[in-house]
Amino acid sequence: MLKIILPTMMLMPLTWMSKPNMIWINTTTYSLLISLISLLFLNQLNDNCTNLSLSFFTDSLSAPLLTLTTWLLPLMLMASQFHLSKEPLTRKKLYITMLILLQLFLIMTFTATELIMFYILFEATLAPTLIIITRWGNQTERLNAGMYFLFYTLVGSLPLLVALLFIQNNMGTLNFLMLQLWSQPMPNSWSNTLLWLACMMAFMVKMPLYGLHLWLPKAHVEAPIAGSMVLAAVLLKLGGYGMMRITILLNPLTNSMAYPFMMLSLWGMIMTSSICLRQTDLKSLIAYSSVSHMALVIAAILIQTPWSYMGATALMIAHGLTSSMLFCLANSNYERTHSRTMILARGLQVLLPLMAAWWLLASLTNLALPPTINLIGELFVVMASFSWSNITIILMGTNIIITALYSLYMLITTQRGKYTHHIKNIKPSFTRENALMALHLMPLLLLSLNPKIILGPIY
Amino acid sequence: MRFSDQNGKMSEIKKKIQSVLPGGAWNPPYDTSYLPPEHSDVVIVGGGVIGLSVAYWLKRLEKPRGAIRVLVVERDHTYSQASTALSVGGIRQQFSVPENIQLSLFSVEFLRNINEYLAVVDDPPLDIQFNPSGYLLLASEKGAAVMESNVKVQRQEGAKVCLMSPEQLRNKFPWINTEGVALASYGMEYEGWFDPWCLLQGLRRKVQSMGVLFCHGEVTRFVSSSSHTETTSGEEVTLKRIHEVHVKIDRSLEYQPVECALVINAAGAWSGQIAELAGVGKGPPGTLQGTKLPVERRKRYVYLWHCPQGPGLETPFVVDASGAYFRREGLGNNYLGGCSPTEEEEPDPGNLEVDHDFFQDKVWPPLAQRVPAFETLKVRSAWAGYYDYNTFDQNGVVGPHPLVVNMYFATGFSGHGLQQAPAVGRAVAEMVLDGHFQTINLNPFHFSRFYLGEKVQEHNII
Repeated sequence: MLKIILPTMMLMPLTWMSKPNMIWINTTTYSLLISLISLLFLNQLNDNCTNLSLSFFTDSLSAPLLTLTTWLLPLMLMASQFHLSKEPLTRKKLYITMLILLQLFLIMTFTATELIMFYILFEATLAPTLIIITRWGNQTERLNAGMYFLFYTLVGSLPLLVALLFIQNNMGTLNFLMLQLWSQPMPNSWSNTLLWLACMMAFMVKMPLYGLHLWLPKAHVEAPIAGSMVLAAVLLKLGGYGMMRITILLNPLTNSMAYPFMMLSLWGMIMTSSICLRQTDLKSLIAYSSVSHMALVIAAILIQTPWSYMGATALMIAHGLTSSMLFCLANSNYERTHSRTMILARGLQVLLPLMAAWWLLASLTNLALPPTINLIGELFVVMASFSWSNITIILMGTNIIITALYSLYMLITTQRGKYTHHIKNIKPSFTRENALMALHLMPLLLLSLNPKIILGPIY
Repeated sequence: MRFSDQNGKMSEIKKKIQSVLPGGAWNPPYDTSYLPPEHSDVVIVGGGVIGLSVAYWLKRLEKPRGAIRVLVVERDHTYSQASTALSVGGIRQQFSVPENIQLSLFSVEFLRNINEYLAVVDDPPLDIQFNPSGYLLLASEKGAAVMESNVKVQRQEGAKVCLMSPEQLRNKFPWINTEGVALASYGMEYEGWFDPWCLLQGLRRKVQSMGVLFCHGEVTRFVSSSSHTETTSGEEVTLKRIHEVHVKIDRSLEYQPVECALVINAAGAWSGQIAELAGVGKGPPGTLQGTKLPVERRKRYVYLWHCPQGPGLETPFVVDASGAYFRREGLGNNYLGGCSPTEEEEPDPGNLEVDHDFFQDKVWPPLAQRVPAFETLKVRSAWAGYYDYNTFDQNGVVGPHPLVVNMYFATGFSGHGLQQAPAVGRAVAEMVLDGHFQTINLNPFHFSRFYLGEKVQEHNII
């Protein structure tokens, strides 16, 4: 594990000591190399986990998420180059440092063995994200967004700390590997209900669950591009990952406690998909689509069947790449027209055809087109929820239809039709942007050739 | 920062760190509500009737509600020099350019149903005091043929105009002296005058209720970026796009950069200066880059007089063949009138001072000759207002600029802007939202006609 952590830590002196014209090149290249190292972890030998040290381990669930995190850093750096170009040098370096710090915490979170270490780093990821949103966001609403983001997550996760300490007292350890072997069934009682809630609420807020999702549209819209990318792609998956880890301790109570949250997430995914149809702000649309996809993941984790876990894991990786790519596309629009409103920048297919191709592919993966891993994830979740209860097929089916509707709506509004007069002289797509989209899409498409990497420990 | 030279650098490093970290001296957050937002999709420069009409139609025609953020920047909230407030307030369809007639027809329909268009919940309805008394244009022998062909065009477009001989004139309006009049055209429906201030306030109220933001400031700078492209014939052209508007707050040095996607120039008499700020006309003369926006301020006087024996309630807005005009004002035998000066007599537009001798020399004689009752009158008051005078062909400029791609014009109406405002607002909104005009085709009013030399001239102007 040190072979990833140390290089990531050393990326920070790299940014501060690089020559001004080499900052971006150095950091992007070295973070790409680090992501190549993390690919080693994808080779999971058995359905047990790979113990790397006393404090770090990877298994088939955390390895793909780790790879996603490390893959995302060079992409974030590439995407931020334009809007930071006018900032003074020190601020650029600070921004990159924040990203690297966030990356470091995330890497350690996904591979933590001890649940307290997981918790500490889970909270620690809030700090660089908050700084990125409030300092480098675009509008005055970013302060509000930062407050919502911070306080929702904190209030949700404080009970988690108490719960973890309680479990540590009871079990004697919070080492995840030991907990797997030593966990006893949790009978139904009031205090166990509260314990269940305390454990799960932090992750529900992070996912986010439909009733607790208000922070997400604000944070995503006000964050700069790298902030949106890392929020959508990785930070939401922290919640899913945490839920999958902690539910091992909470059986069989989950069978009865899950009902309200199942209902919230099933209803929520339809509601947020429908809200997407009425959105005028492009980033807001993608943010609500994130909520909708994550609601599927929550539903899958709460059902707790082998197929649903496989679907949840696949969906997390697939959504991470797709959502991040959509945010990059929206940002490339915003950098040109200086407006996030969809109807003011229409007909882009004629002006930027290659970018239109990326838009098409991103929208298609967003609506879970076969044979992408998005489809595999969604399909497994739908099938598992059908076996859990037959009626959910109606809700899931409606959600799939509405997802297709708003993805195509977004595509058609921005790409098709006659272009508006005032975008006639937008700059053509930069190689950097095309490379960014390709680097997002390539793993997505390659994984559809070999999805068993991302299907998690149950496969 | 290289750590090669450590000696004596520690204090410098400390200072650098302190300058990077957020503020040493803590300033409590102060009230910035007077500043415009940092970002707006559309910035409308000018808050007169044209600017507000564009804002209204943008908000009305946007497909999902609440999609576009509109900011109206107006320098003077008392509207003390704005053409809208100082206008005589007439509306007519008696133009010769078909587009002008169509614009006017829609505007009349808008004004007639103003309380359906501009209704705001819990607010009293508007009373714009539309007097549908019609316009009476008088023509001498020279202009009679032109008037006849004009009336034909007007009738084709749907205006209700009738031609009257001097005999019929005398029968209908006994107070007219028809000496020298060969033909007259009288608008029977949809013409008249109204209260422009009421329209302005009604639009302001409605537009604020629809979510448009107002800013009390002046546009001082456009930050734009340009890119070079080649036309199909191979010549290189520079396209510019404005991405920031600097709005300077009134009576202060403070300015706020507003990031925007579109700018709409509805600054009326000052549109030429705004266009220059955006770089319109900066180039060798005779090229498209060097074509300036030919809109400048021209001062026009309006006089209010009292004449106890004057024409009665049915008096239309009379425009004499000499160019002098008058209309009834209120119910107490008061009349408003004036005359457009010739090119040589153009008054200095630096201020809005009124020249009373102009009335004595140029307005009164033709009016007294036409209406004998006006030989005894007493001028009660007078004021002056600006025309956003289009020196090229005295008709409006509507549509985007070919080179500064995200600046749209809605200006240069040279005295008939108020009566065309609702329709022009709708046309600009259609152009912005759909990319082309949908209801009234205002392509003849495009900016490129100044470069190509295609004049859209009226055959009878006031």
